[in-house]
Amino acid sequence: MKLAEALSIVRKAPADGLPLKVVLACGFTPLHLQNFFAAHLQQAHPDRKIEVSVGLFEDIPGTLKLLGKHGVQAGALVLEWADLDSRLGYRQLGGWGQRVIPSILENVKARLKHLEALISEIPSSATLAVSLPTLSLPPGFHTAGWQVSEAELALHELVISFGRNLAAHPSVSIVSEQRLNADSPVSARYDFRSDLNTGFPYSSQHAAVLGRALAALLNPPKPKKGLITDLDDTLWAGLIGEVGHEQVSWDLASHTQFHGLYQQMLGALADQGVLIAVASKNTAEIAQKGLARTDLMISGDKIFPVEIHWEPKSGSVARILKAWNIGADSVVFVDDSPMELAEIHSAHPDVECLQFPKADYQAGFAFLQKLRDLFGKPRLSEEDSFRLESIRQGQQFHEATKGGDSTEQLLAAANAQVTLEFNPPASDKRVVELVNKTNQFNLNGVRFTDGEWHEKADDPNTITLAVSYQDKFGPLGKIAVVRGTREDHSLRVNAWVMSCRAFSRRIEYQTLLRLFERHGAASIAFDFVPTPKNKPMADFLRELLDQEPTNGVVLTREKFQEKLPKLYHQLIEKNG
Amino acid sequence: MDNSETRLVTIFENVFPDLPTDRIPNASQDSVQNWDSVAAITLMNLIEEEFGIQMDFDDLGELTSFKKILAYVEGKVAQTA
Repeated sequence: MKLAEALSIVRKAPADGLPLKVVLACGFTPLHLQNFFAAHLQQAHPDRKIEVSVGLFEDIPGTLKLLGKHGVQAGALVLEWADLDSRLGYRQLGGWGQRVIPSILENVKARLKHLEALISEIPSSATLAVSLPTLSLPPGFHTAGWQVSEAELALHELVISFGRNLAAHPSVSIVSEQRLNADSPVSARYDFRSDLNTGFPYSSQHAAVLGRALAALLNPPKPKKGLITDLDDTLWAGLIGEVGHEQVSWDLASHTQFHGLYQQMLGALADQGVLIAVASKNTAEIAQKGLARTDLMISGDKIFPVEIHWEPKSGSVARILKAWNIGADSVVFVDDSPMELAEIHSAHPDVECLQFPKADYQAGFAFLQKLRDLFGKPRLSEEDSFRLESIRQGQQFHEATKGGDSTEQLLAAANAQVTLEFNPPASDKRVVELVNKTNQFNLNGVRFTDGEWHEKADDPNTITLAVSYQDKFGPLGKIAVVRGTREDHSLRVNAWVMSCRAFSRRIEYQTLLRLFERHGAASIAFDFVPTPKNKPMADFLRELLDQEPTNGVVLTREKFQEKLPKLYHQLIEKNG
Repeated sequence: MDNSETRLVTIFENVFPDLPTDRIPNASQDSVQNWDSVAAITLMNLIEEEFGIQMDFDDLGELTSFKKILAYVEGKVAQTA
């Protein structure tokens, strides 16, 4: 992005858009970094009006203290060496060389400790993106430039240790040095002329890359949830139907190591809660032998469902999406055949189709990075560890219904336990995550930043309820969130989501029942807004109300009691 | 309006979004409230980006109006042509 484009984006922000207040803390004149940062945030929130404030010049602690106050719920901290000790920059003449190094190290250590203490006080409802020093150290060390000195390593060690401590903070994300090195070459980052004349040390190009990186940390794209892979010449090298399961390969000796790396990547993704499935045109019993090989780098039990037959793959993908019960836009399809990719793209245009780069090493290397980016998530939650298991259990649940057990018998025998947690703590990031990623059973599709969500939690009339579920088939974890406000003898529900994994268990009825009972409400109003994806919510409300749901539609307690089916859950209630 | 002038007007529009376009040709540090040191440096960077020229910080003090900047830019462009 060029500076003119950044300014133009900021200039075209909707004047009447709801302000999104963000702080930028840095020890130098923020100049164009502020413009690029604002422009990338503006692109991520086109309906909002981004307001980036920079606090007082050189007052990083003062600027950080604004976080969590006056509606400021997000910020960026950009550190350079000169902010840790002015002798590590070029704008102050404080001396260089061996004589001052011990004092510089002491200073940097104390400064980082102070910053760490300040950051630890940031409310968990706020989010902070941090950039550790990106510029080179000045030449004030005794070694030649091609030899790193012990003092330089000591400085880096202090900064790395600081960054590592911050990374454990639930509200802090740190810019990846590796990615920054790739996107902004170190030699092109520093602008000596600008630093000496204006106090802004970055080249426009580096400011643009850093502004984008910081904005991406505050607004990470929604991670994909599932990957469907082909087998032949993709998960392994070779056509299993022709060479047999013992001859397909994924190792260095056969020059097919990239397939092993791909398997290894899928294994790692599965461990972080990504759903992995297979769609292959093959003879099932032959291909299954390949999947059963014990040297496969992803365990066979991590792959579900497995669709192996000679039918079109578009049908396989449709069935896999149904089994996973997630939207096509959350899924990546990987195949070596352009024809198969075209077929999937035509039948499921929202699925992201990637061609497996079997013969191009450079493309293969980029492909692995691409998978990391598509599926990467800022933090892992408990739910990530049992997502696949709960989908399998959901299938068992539905299979049991099909198998002749009546729904009532099945629910009665499920040993279901519903845990209702009122006003969960701000540190529980799963709550906002669930609100922001659930599409189908979603009252109105409204998304929230962490800050916006927690700002409302402070209102004494606000009720927030997080719902967890488990039954004899296993735990589903935290699967629903309701946010509402008390209004005399009624409640108004502003946000309500429930994971599709939890459908058909009457958890939505139990949730409403406890809201009516606990708050003695005579009625509940719903801020319902139809979205392209929230038909399950619309269907549920229509069924309850005997009318087409509209914004503000009211459900009386009498009407709810009329419609309430028998519930079999054991209830646990907690207060956060 | 010639090509350089049009490009410079666009730059001014980005730096001073509240300034009506028809007032830009007569704009000066005295008449534009937001024309501070940050705006001056932003103008300089945008001009360098747009016209592919290198400006001298020492000249900034003299570049106090749209007309003076336009003349300066046209001179620099002619030198590099």
